[in-house]
Order: sequence, then C-alpha cells, then structure tokens
Amino acid sequence: MSSINEKFTPIRKGLLEFLVLKIVSADKVYVADILRELSGTEFATQEGTLYPLLSKMRREELVDYEWKESEAGPPRKYYQLTAKGREQLREISEYWQQISATVKCLGQKPAQ
Amino acid sequence: MNKVIIINLNGNAYQLEENGYEALRAYLDSAARRLEGNPDRDEIIADIEQAIADKFRALMGASKTVVATREVEGVIAEMGPVEDASDTPAAVPKGAAEAPRPAPGADAGPGPAKRLYRINDGAMLAGVCNGIAAYMNIDVTIVRIVFVALTLAYGAGALLYIMMAILIPSAVTSAERAAASGAPSTAQEFIRRARAGYYEGMKTFGDRRAYREWRRNFKHEMRGWKQDLKREMHQNAHQWACNWHRHWGGRPYPFPGWWFAVPLLRLLSALVTVVCLFSLVSLLATGAVFGILLPAGIPVWAGLIILIVAFQVIALPLRFMRHAMYYGSGYDPVCAGWLHFWNAVAGLGFIAVVVWFASRHSAQVHEAIRNLPHEIHSAVDSVRRWWASQ
Repeated sequence: MSSINEKFTPIRKGLLEFLVLKIVSADKVYVADILRELSGTEFATQEGTLYPLLSKMRREELVDYEWKESEAGPPRKYYQLTAKGREQLREISEYWQQISATVKCLGQKPAQ
Repeated sequence: MNKVIIINLNGNAYQLEENGYEALRAYLDSAARRLEGNPDRDEIIADIEQAIADKFRALMGASKTVVATREVEGVIAEMGPVEDASDTPAAVPKGAAEAPRPAPGADAGPGPAKRLYRINDGAMLAGVCNGIAAYMNIDVTIVRIVFVALTLAYGAGALLYIMMAILIPSAVTSAERAAASGAPSTAQEFIRRARAGYYEGMKTFGDRRAYREWRRNFKHEMRGWKQDLKREMHQNAHQWACNWHRHWGGRPYPFPGWWFAVPLLRLLSALVTVVCLFSLVSLLATGAVFGILLPAGIPVWAGLIILIVAFQVIALPLRFMRHAMYYGSGYDPVCAGWLHFWNAVAGLGFIAVVVWFASRHSAQVHEAIRNLPHEIHSAVDSVRRWWASQ
C-alpha cells in the first residue's frame, strides 16, 4: 500500500483543489470543517497545506470568505464558492467523469 | 525550572517554554521561506498563526498557563509542513529547510495518527463503543454485541464500559474527531502485509532458496510492523497523558487515583485473559461459549479467531490506559517505578489467587502443586545426569 500511496501522491495533491471545491460548494465552511471532511479519506491533509491552497483559490476568484463570529474564540473565515468557482466545479466534475470512465474502460476486451 | 517566553500569535498572547518557542519559530520561519514570492504570504502566515493559537487555547486551562515544549511540537506536527500551492512540486526551492517535525506522529504516513476517543455523535450511552468501532474500523454493532456478551459474563462488560467511559477522553475538537476516525490503523496494515507476505511465500513453494529468502524478508517486515505498533501505542499513551494533564492540569503526578487504577487495570487485563482462555477451552471442548453454541455455518477455527479478536478489542484499551499512566508519571522515575511495582504486585497477586482457587477446587491441580517440589528435584537431577554423561 505504501508504495502505491507514494505513487499517487502527486495525483492526490492535484485532486485536492477539486475536492475542496466540492466541500465548499455544499455549505459555508471554515478550515477545520474541510480538514474534518477530508480526514477519514485518502486525501487527509493538514492546515499547512490547506491555508496556502485556499488563498490560491481565492486569488483565482474560485472561493471567497467572510468573517463570522464563533461561540468560542475569535471570528473565523467562512469560505464559499463564487460564481466562477461553481462553474469551475461543474467543468471539473464533468472532466472527472470522463477520466474515470476512461480508466474503467481501458484495457477491457470488447464484448463479443 | 524552565525559562518561559511570551509570544504574540496574530494578536493572541501565549507563554511558551524556551525550547517550544525555538521549535515554533523555526516552523514559522520555514513557512515564511516557503511562501517567498507568494502575494498572499502575510495573510497565510496570519491564518496559520491563528490556527496555532486556536490549538494552544484548547490546551490551556484555568490553572495551566504555559504551553509545554512537547505540546508545541504536537501542534506543529498537527499543522503539517507549509506547502505553497501556487508552486508546482518541481519549483519548490531546493534549499528551503524542512519544517522541523520532532513529534513522533509526523512520519506516520498519510493523515493524522489514529487515537482512541469516545465519540458522542450517534452514541447510545457515552460513546465508548462508537469510539472503539471507529478506532478498529469495524461496525459499531459488533462492538456493542461484544460488550453486551461480556456483561452477561459476570457483568465484566458493564464494569469495563464504565471504566472506559471515565478514562477515555471524548473527542471534542475537530482534530480529535479527525484522529478518532483517521488514517487506517496499523493493525489493518499488519493483516494486509501478512496476507501479501504469505501469498508471496506460497509462490516460492518448492524452491528452497527462494523460500529461505522470503522467510527472511517476511520476518523483517513483521518486525518493522511490531515497532510501528509499539510506536503507535506509545503515541496513544502520550496523547492520553496530555489529555489528563489538560484535565487535571497542575496537580502533582501521579494523579492519586492511579495508585488504585494501575493494579485495578492489571487485574481487569488478567481477568480478561482468564475469561478468554476459559472460553477458548470451552469452545474447543464443548463447541459452546457460556452456553452459546456456535452457529451451524461457522467452523470452530473461525469461532476461535472471532473470540481472540474480540478479547484483543477489550484488552488493548486496558493496556493503553496502563501505559498512559506510566507516561503520565514519566516526569519522575521513582513514581513510575512505584506504578510498575504496583502493577507487578497486582499481577502476581492475581496469579496467586488463581492458583489457590484452582488447588482448592480441583484435586488434580492440588496434587500437581504438592508434587511440584518433587518434580523440580527430579528434573534438576535428570539434567545433572545428562550433563555428567557428556
């Protein structure tokens, strides 16, 4: 597993943005929510990776944030998708469908 | 006595031990270096500082005002190295120093290391079963059934449940919740490796040299796994000690209850072992455990495996708890020594009671114990004779 794990590191890294788009599209979330959603999966990540990624996505105007008070502690940044982010997510989802269909079909013998 | 340094993290003041401060500064410096040229650098650093401040706040209590070095290291490991998302992997500056990753959990593969917590979401009582299920990655119903079955056996399950409800911390923060159901546990990895290893071994059947080679590799792998498991166990124990420290912060070590808890845990472990052995024997001899017959479709060997796994599930947390207490007293070797001593006394006492009980209730055991000195003498004699004949 560990060697496969390593081989897929760049792919997982690349997919992370897509997954963050997906998570943010469902609800207004802050960073701990995103980390939690990813934690049980193969894409488990840490703040050190997520903050720079989110700031890049904001620079590309895919997500936007607003400050919100929290019950305990200082206000938090809550992220949501912009119209551009939503469009991007739709495109990537479609592309992902294509890719996964290709992966599934390649190398299979045609039905007789 | 340690020097304390006061820092300002994004507007939050915290007191850190000097070494912890050094580690944190190295981490933030390396983060800043890696984000060199990123237009949002300051904002990202502020976010990261805020996240660290949040984690520190969770560690603080009314009577605890200083962040210890190992706590700082734990938080840094939790944050993970800062990676600039705008860079392609190849463009990451080669000279940039790695973020310091002193915590043992940092190299434990993908995701946070898994820990045992109580999980209150969807819990029936205190979330003990829920937590164990998440930890072992099995269905919660199975764990509940095991606990109910154990409760039928002299109420052990109920007792165990109450103890674990008191001793296991509940997952409150997001990081804790993530750790409660995080990356795959070492146990699963072990099973996977063992299976892969055996398939590999079967291929070498008939070729003696290849077989020997395989066996050596297999042993090596297994040894590595054992170390992993040990490390994981230590991490768990360490985490628990931290939790306790947070909980009972400032109190002297060890927490007075431990003097009772250590021998009690030892007794519980021993009891579990005895019940386990008893049920294994009864399964082999009669095909039933506590009067419950194995379902028709399940062979006896599968029953044995199920039993052993079930008892491991119960025994493991007990072991963690004991280790956590040794850890907690780690500041003071004398104190840890005493805890070990109590542990040993409880263990020996238990064996003595079992032997006494057996000799009272079974004539054969009684006879065997009476003959023991004689047996030892004759064994020593035969060894001596063999030695003389050489």
